[in-house]
Amino acid sequence: MTNNVAILGGAALPVGKWQGSSEDETQHLEHELLAKLVMDAMEDAGLEKSDISSLIFTLPRPYTQQKYFATFMANYLNLPCDGLVMEVLGNGMTPALAFQTAVDQVTLGRAKVALALGVNFESATSSYDHMMSSMRATGDVDFHTPFGFTPISWYAMDAVRYIHEFGSSREELASVAVKNRAHAMHNPIAQYRKPMTLDDVLAQRPIVDPLGLFEVPGRADGAVCVVVADEDVAKATGKSYARIRGAGFYHEGAHQINETPNDMIAFGSARRAGEKAYAQAGMNAKDIDFAELYAPCTIVEVLVSEALDLVARGEGGRMAAAGETSVGGRIPICTSGGLQSRGHPAYVTALYSYIEVLDQFRNRAGGRQVEGAGIGMTSAELGNYNAALVHILEAVQ
Amino acid sequence: MTLPIVDMPGKRSYPPRQSDFTIKFWQGLGDGIFQTTRCVKCQKLSFPPKPICPHCWSKETVWETLSGKGTLYSKTTVYAGPAVFKEELPYQVGIVDLDENIRIATRVLGDAKLDAPVEMVILKYEDGNLYAAR
Repeated sequence: MTNNVAILGGAALPVGKWQGSSEDETQHLEHELLAKLVMDAMEDAGLEKSDISSLIFTLPRPYTQQKYFATFMANYLNLPCDGLVMEVLGNGMTPALAFQTAVDQVTLGRAKVALALGVNFESATSSYDHMMSSMRATGDVDFHTPFGFTPISWYAMDAVRYIHEFGSSREELASVAVKNRAHAMHNPIAQYRKPMTLDDVLAQRPIVDPLGLFEVPGRADGAVCVVVADEDVAKATGKSYARIRGAGFYHEGAHQINETPNDMIAFGSARRAGEKAYAQAGMNAKDIDFAELYAPCTIVEVLVSEALDLVARGEGGRMAAAGETSVGGRIPICTSGGLQSRGHPAYVTALYSYIEVLDQFRNRAGGRQVEGAGIGMTSAELGNYNAALVHILEAVQ
Repeated sequence: MTLPIVDMPGKRSYPPRQSDFTIKFWQGLGDGIFQTTRCVKCQKLSFPPKPICPHCWSKETVWETLSGKGTLYSKTTVYAGPAVFKEELPYQVGIVDLDENIRIATRVLGDAKLDAPVEMVILKYEDGNLYAAR
């Protein structure tokens, strides 16, 4: 036994608007959509229903009708489990925590095969109403929320500080969105795939200064199932897979801002988590062929790619503008199209990252394929990257 | 040391809660006093004010008035906000580093520049107080 853990299969719903309303004659049901993905993912993995021991679900949004979703799904799939059946919540990190918990199930020997899966339905709730809830998640309800901070207002303040400190510009940051759209055009499950220029991005209405509509994530529904397996199980299928080479987590013990002034845009937690993942993998940033980073806004992609040493400090915007982070460039970032264009069904978003890694490793990414994609990196976060969970994965053919 | 008081129209869009402990902070604003807690054991300041010290985990803290002076670390203008803030859009929020080496997040008035000095003011609404930097 190698004690290694593999991603062996996956399936995902195209990101977009799926949730209906009570006025529709028929609606998409969350469990019907997810059940089909489970079967597609298991077929992709070359495994049988009876191989599964654990089901680790992302907690559905409160707007999802079916509650106690994990145990409901175990019934819907008639799937007895002797490992663990549970739901996970941790804001934007939710899907990455579900994935890590599934990996832990295998590492601990409690399951040979575990699924990390979930549904995010939220598009039937307006942004103004949704923000009534999300504003209470990204800040202190009594000492931040009364001033009107929104989740992405913190990232906007990162952008303002970044431009001030490094002489970058809104145009350079906006080029990240253009790059991500160019990637998404080749991704059949991406939410936004129409061609888009820098002028298109700059012409949009402002959302949080200096970010406009196309520099922040839209809202969407989505569903994903990722199959995690003991490497021996993966090997026996004869299929290629993604071997987890390193993982790192770090929480800086702060929520949105540190009460003691620090370098907020250094994303110290991403740096610490990345260092742990690099150390475990015995690698450094030069070994990474592509990175699928959790970055709700353009500025966040710039800052986290700097914190993970993928691009030089203060240069992230310029490097995106120069094409270094595009497919075909030195270090392709967010080949799926990222959160701005692939889409951001928040409680399952990071699960889409592992799907993208597997697509790249299995050479099935079409027009966004990274040549010789052998080592990939993923990240997920809490708050303003106050916590980060980073993985390094290796293609095994 | 008291802070300038700015009269604001109407009520607060999203009033903060008060506890038996934090009521001293919110009521103090009405008298122009901007204060927080200092740990008796390790002497470190903390914000928001707390009955415990997050640094050394002592349970003994004392109130201390802040100067209300600081520098603007960052800011943004919110154009799309939650339903309760719709009437106030667009509005400015920011991050201020107080001279006492405390970082806070608050409303921002006027056109203060990054790294420039700002002063805290009390925002007096019909139903209570908030604070801002200008």
